[in-house]
Amino acid sequence: MTTPSNTTPSLEEISIVLAKMIADKMEIDVATITPTSNLTELGLDSLDTFDIIFNAEDHFKIKVPNDQVNIETLQDVTALVHKLILSQQ
Amino acid sequence: MVNAHKRVVVTGMGVVSPIGNGLAELSKQVFAGLSGIKKIDAPFVEQLSCKLAAQANFDPAAYFSKHTYSMLDRTSQMALHTSIEAVKHAGLSVNEALQPRMGVYLGTGMGGASSVEEGYVRLFKDGASRLKPFTVLMSMNNAAASAIALEFQITGPNQTFSTACSSSAVAIGEAARLIRHGYADVMLAGGAEALLTFGTIKAWEALRTLADEDQVDVSRSCKPFSLNRSGLVLGEGAAMLVLESLEHAQARGATIYAELAGYGSANDSGHITQPSVKGQLATMQAALSDANLPPQAIEYINAHGTGTVMNDATETNAIKQVFGEYAYKLSVSSTKGAHGHLMGAAGALEAVITLLALNSNTLPPTINLAQPDPACDLNYVPNTAKTLPSLDCVMSNSFAFGGTGAALIFKKLSLK
Repeated sequence: MTTPSNTTPSLEEISIVLAKMIADKMEIDVATITPTSNLTELGLDSLDTFDIIFNAEDHFKIKVPNDQVNIETLQDVTALVHKLILSQQ
Repeated sequence: MVNAHKRVVVTGMGVVSPIGNGLAELSKQVFAGLSGIKKIDAPFVEQLSCKLAAQANFDPAAYFSKHTYSMLDRTSQMALHTSIEAVKHAGLSVNEALQPRMGVYLGTGMGGASSVEEGYVRLFKDGASRLKPFTVLMSMNNAAASAIALEFQITGPNQTFSTACSSSAVAIGEAARLIRHGYADVMLAGGAEALLTFGTIKAWEALRTLADEDQVDVSRSCKPFSLNRSGLVLGEGAAMLVLESLEHAQARGATIYAELAGYGSANDSGHITQPSVKGQLATMQAALSDANLPPQAIEYINAHGTGTVMNDATETNAIKQVFGEYAYKLSVSSTKGAHGHLMGAAGALEAVITLLALNSNTLPPTINLAQPDPACDLNYVPNTAKTLPSLDCVMSNSFAFGGTGAALIFKKLSLK
């Protein structure tokens, strides 16, 4: 584990980026998405979630391992992305 | 149809084509002899030696949510849109009772060609290490038929036919057989193709079957049956029909546009690209036999008429062998000079045009027919549409690389 650099985005910053990706994909108002929003309840199926992860990989320059399956809410994705940014920097 | 269990009728149509989306626009342009062939609007145009294409003016965002269209290849987007239009045109309510009795048969030559190519560009050119999660689902040939079933929640037979340029004519014919033999009451049948990608066009260039650019007017580059014809022009689009058993259509008071009276299919078994008189005449004879009609019943043939030297002469010869002296009395036209060659969607688009002809008693012209070819000496309705006092029975031909031919015969419904 490396120490956070100045360019490491905060959890909140990551959450904002991910919420915007979800809103854009599902064509819903970003204001309706909160950290505890359940992805299924927002209308995402498993493929949609793969797509969000794919876009997050591009945006944050990370690689999400294949076994990350316990993703239910926005904050789950946010935490995963944050952890991977720190470990893969 | 011989041994008919149920008669099959056409009750709805939807179309996206290089000469108009929707029946009204297509009808206006095809009978006016207007061409949709242009210099291709694509970033790779200058890298092509043949810069022509017949592109459809189709923006998926006008019809679907981003969530829907971003998971579908252009082929599937057009197939889904035209299916929705066809169901609307048919005034069909796809309810719970109908869903298990309704299916989809769709023809496509290359399915999700642009999604495949996009993936290859990412991997091989851009050096990406991974592909988009939807790549497989967008590329697979049955994606379009699947999207249609999902849209309407229909659980009847769902199959995809890929016989190159005859794919959608085969899909329509086979769907009619399902209804005839009682396996379904209603079928969405037709085809879609969107292969105007850099790689696909390059592959076609290498086959040396594409038309030369007309030096005066590029829109006139495809010249079926003309002595100076030089090849085909690639096109894209989709067309879907609602086929229905006559009793089902009558029970719901549907408008019936025609009876699909016969379908025949045969294979050239000669050469992978060269058409054979043997295969083409077997195709047309099979359709006549299926419809239990003599050759003289056919008043108009919408020919495959690609505009290649080989196809047009072969098809002319095959028509002469099937129809004898009567070949000189009936009318034959190719509309590919206007809309280009839609490959897997060609048979379905031309079936729709043939149905428009039948319903308006008007024959669409073979455009750009300026120089008669002694090898092509039938009545091709040159350059100007022709309105007849009546029109009762018409045929649409489709032939293909790989040799699979399909002929469809449509008749005005007679309840005598």
